Amino acid sequence: MLKIQLSQSTPNPLQIALECVSGELHALVGPSGSGKTTALRTIAGLNNAQAGKIECDGKLWFEASEINGITTALTPADRSCGFLFQQYALFPHLSALDNVCIPLYNSVAGLAERKAQAQQWLNRMGIGELADRMPNQLSGGQQQRVALARALARSPKILLLDEPFSAIDAPTRQGLYKTLAELRKDLNIPILLVTHDLREADLLADRITVIDQGVGLQTAPPQVLFERPRNSRVAELVGISNKFEGVFSAGKLTWDNCSQVFKVLDKGKIPPNTPVAWVIPAEGISLHSAPSETSIEAQVEHISALGQIAVIQLRTAEGSHVISWEASAAEVKRLSLEIGKKSYVEIDGDKIHIMPLRPINDPRRFSS
Amino acid sequence: MDMEALLLSLKLALWTLALILPFGVWVAHSLQGMGKGRSWIEAALALPLVLPPTVLGYYLLVGLGGKTLFGIPLVFSFTGILIASLIVNLPFAIQPIQRAFESIHPEIREAAQVSGLSQWQIFRFIELPLAWRGITSAAVLTFAHTLGEFGVILMVGGAIPGETKTVSIAIYDKVQSFDSAGAGVLSLILLGTSLVAIAISYGVFTRHPSQTREWRG
Repeated sequence: MLKIQLSQSTPNPLQIALECVSGELHALVGPSGSGKTTALRTIAGLNNAQAGKIECDGKLWFEASEINGITTALTPADRSCGFLFQQYALFPHLSALDNVCIPLYNSVAGLAERKAQAQQWLNRMGIGELADRMPNQLSGGQQQRVALARALARSPKILLLDEPFSAIDAPTRQGLYKTLAELRKDLNIPILLVTHDLREADLLADRITVIDQGVGLQTAPPQVLFERPRNSRVAELVGISNKFEGVFSAGKLTWDNCSQVFKVLDKGKIPPNTPVAWVIPAEGISLHSAPSETSIEAQVEHISALGQIAVIQLRTAEGSHVISWEASAAEVKRLSLEIGKKSYVEIDGDKIHIMPLRPINDPRRFSS
Repeated sequence: MDMEALLLSLKLALWTLALILPFGVWVAHSLQGMGKGRSWIEAALALPLVLPPTVLGYYLLVGLGGKTLFGIPLVFSFTGILIASLIVNLPFAIQPIQRAFESIHPEIREAAQVSGLSQWQIFRFIELPLAWRGITSAAVLTFAHTLGEFGVILMVGGAIPGETKTVSIAIYDKVQSFDSAGAGVLSLILLGTSLVAIAISYGVFTRHPSQTREWRG
């Protein structure tokens, strides 16, 4: 199990705490410059934080505090991390096989034995026949497989993946996803994946930590993150399209610039008359051609057809809010939707998730 | 042809190479990641490039004059011109190696670190082989430059046959004594040697970059 808690203010701010159990794939997601790579490098020992603690399998790798400075800091070589770099970082003067031999140098005696083990790792990655090739004779996907074999050859205690798929074309990426998914089952070690691609994190990770400006905003399984983001910024970062603002008071949510009031579950955490952000997942929205008591009048503003799926943008008559709704081509036909057509949107109050406008640790969170 | 001068120049060049290359590799490697003071050290090491050879020779003559090393006088001796040659060649030996170390991407070193290699192992298995072309360049430049060095050698060593009279000084002597043919032969030898050395440093004789030696680590 990997436990980290990092804190620093310079050069890049970092405020992050997370745990990753054996066999778990934990994704760190955030925009460029959010500090996710810094966090990964700090775990590997390539950077040091000003304060914090890193523990792996009960062994202390790093400890520092603002007062005492760094008290424990194992070298990267002593931490037993497999690290996959974005640009592979293969040793250009060594063949694929020799690249994988390098991490075995201090743990396996005898060149023949090292080569045999390295060959096994290359075979496992499906590139055994490329053992004698130099890195510049390999494609991007093949290089990344060599790099993965090299990262795993030492039997590391954790595997750290720094945007490993971003420099690879889409078809090759699918193959690598499959390899990673298969490896996960056998390795049974904590795996941390840094990515800016939410779909990738959603596809591969058991849990996601959203990082912004060095601060870990929320850690949750992907489904929870998309349905119940902790705050407005998380909702923004995970790309939730139907995010609005309103005022919450005792179980009732009033939509901004609108007379619409929704009945929402009150957990008693938010004071009365608090401005909040709220999101509604796709399954909480339905569209009808006739009005009802609770429906909201809206006009179709834009229809983007994406194969069998269409994204419809509607503008509410009251408040001029833009609602995004995904539907199948058949549904669009059934409702005879076209630009300018008047429709009626039904929003299920039970599916609404409300949250503070600002992060929990921000004193301004309840002010707009 | 003045074989004695030719052999002396060769001996001086080989001794210079043997001593300056390990030192150059050490200095160039140490300069990496050095913060404050690096520019001053680099400037000091590059000084022989811009300093007139007679000025450098004068300071060496004054500095080494009357001193001995294991009983051997440091001026007007082979040891003296070797010391002069080492100093004059510092920029030629260090700069190509330094550039070669700098051209190694930091992630390559980091990959070696997380692969569990010690600093010495990283140097031996990763940095040194990757800097090999820079080290070869440094070697040929130093070799060619030593063969052709004139001013400093003349100032520190004079022109003692078999001891300090190198090819360049022999050419000068032959011209002074109107031996144009002798000077021409020696000049041609230096010209050919320099041309081959420069060609090597430009990679004319190296194999395709992808063909590298097998790792025996």
